[in-house]
Amino acid sequence: MLSAFFQRLDLGVRRFVPLVTVLAFIFLGAVRWPVPYAGAISPSLGLAAVYYWSIHRPDLFHPVTAFACGLLYDLINFLPFGLTAIVYIGVHQLVLRQRRFFAGQTFYVLWAGFALVALLASAWQWMVVSVYNNLWVPVEPVALQFFLTLAVFPLPAWLLIRLQRVALSQG
Amino acid sequence: MVNLPPQLSDYLFRQENLSMPVRRPPGTSWVYSKAASWRVWAQRFSFIFFLALAFGLLFISRGNYAAVERLRARALDFFAPALDAMARPVVLAENALQRVNHFINLQAENEKLRAENARMIQWQNAAIALENQNRELRSLLNYKAEPALSYISARVIADTGGPYVRALIVTAGREDGVREGMAAMTGEGLIGRVVEVGEWSSRILLITDLSSRIPVIIAGSGEHAILAGENRPNPRLLYLPQDAVVHVGSRVMTSGHGGVFPPELPVGIVTSVDKGGIEVTPLSAIGRINQVRLVDFNLKGGAFNPMAGNIEAGSRPR
Repeated sequence: MLSAFFQRLDLGVRRFVPLVTVLAFIFLGAVRWPVPYAGAISPSLGLAAVYYWSIHRPDLFHPVTAFACGLLYDLINFLPFGLTAIVYIGVHQLVLRQRRFFAGQTFYVLWAGFALVALLASAWQWMVVSVYNNLWVPVEPVALQFFLTLAVFPLPAWLLIRLQRVALSQG
Repeated sequence: MVNLPPQLSDYLFRQENLSMPVRRPPGTSWVYSKAASWRVWAQRFSFIFFLALAFGLLFISRGNYAAVERLRARALDFFAPALDAMARPVVLAENALQRVNHFINLQAENEKLRAENARMIQWQNAAIALENQNRELRSLLNYKAEPALSYISARVIADTGGPYVRALIVTAGREDGVREGMAAMTGEGLIGRVVEVGEWSSRILLITDLSSRIPVIIAGSGEHAILAGENRPNPRLLYLPQDAVVHVGSRVMTSGHGGVFPPELPVGIVTSVDKGGIEVTPLSAIGRINQVRLVDFNLKGGAFNPMAGNIEAGSRPR
């Protein structure tokens, strides 16, 4: 009886792995690194996690989760409320519709897909923030962040693959 | 309650099968396919619903409503402990590295400090002489002494906004006496102002942020200008008079115009003058700030002396 309860609890907790990783990556992205200018170009790790889970476990990562994570990102980062929520929901839906394409592909294809997603996300955020401020946001920091996000993508992806194997292999 | 066979329930509740035309596994009843197609619609509807909601919020937040501001401040308090927990290992590692670094450079640093100390003693003598003179002149003029300014110290726990907004989150809020609009400084100079205040945390918009506009004065020439952030490492000077001559190395201080900041807060040094504009390097290494001081100047009023906080209370002339 008790063991059945713990088994259910264990399974229940495991269902939150995607949400928890996205949140952890969002918080990690806000950490102050003791390197000049690092904060302005810190990679969008949250986006990488949203992309990964939307492909690999969309059953555990719903539009409402994407929406909530995006709002949280906007709150923490003092961005227009809803800006990143749109990005996360959009990425979730876009990737979901292309899941057949991603199935069984190599990691490089996953990476290339992420490049496109991150590019669209950056362009959207750049546009909205420019409209909000009534002036063009300088492109270099945005471009630097995009390239850095792209360059480090294998690291969060590797972590998430390991985590998925360890925690969600039965799911 | 119907218990589905494990393989089937796995098949049904996986999104990959739901977002495609529903294929009924052989030997199952139509109920399962109905359930699956319902889920497809529910999922599509939730996508449209949340997308519309996010667009609605984006539109609403443009209006700077008080409710949105309050929600943001509450959220700041709510997430500050998690951000703080994330920041601590980085600070520990940074301190450890610094200690090793200090140990390696001990001798060189010692010599540098000795030289600096000798220079500082000269400055101290000059300061004491000037202070005495200043006091005598003030007594001649019946000048009313300015009350001491108060500083609130805070620790930086997050560097947020990425390439779009340059802001820091610090561990001091309303409970500590922080109010919106306070100037944020380090020992070296101005770094920004408080834009959001929670109960025990607040947000500082840096002078490098795109929306930061600070009225400044160039020391020496006395020219007025606006220091505008660009989300790049160095802000630029705007609206300088056409005939103004600005040299590399000139100090830039707040002018106090507009009442946002008190006058004469040190801000930066002009580091490049070219066709593209005049670039100012902030005096504080903005990327590496650990501690900030929030300056309470509105309550006390009067002219502002940025050195006031560096003098211990007991040694201040009464």
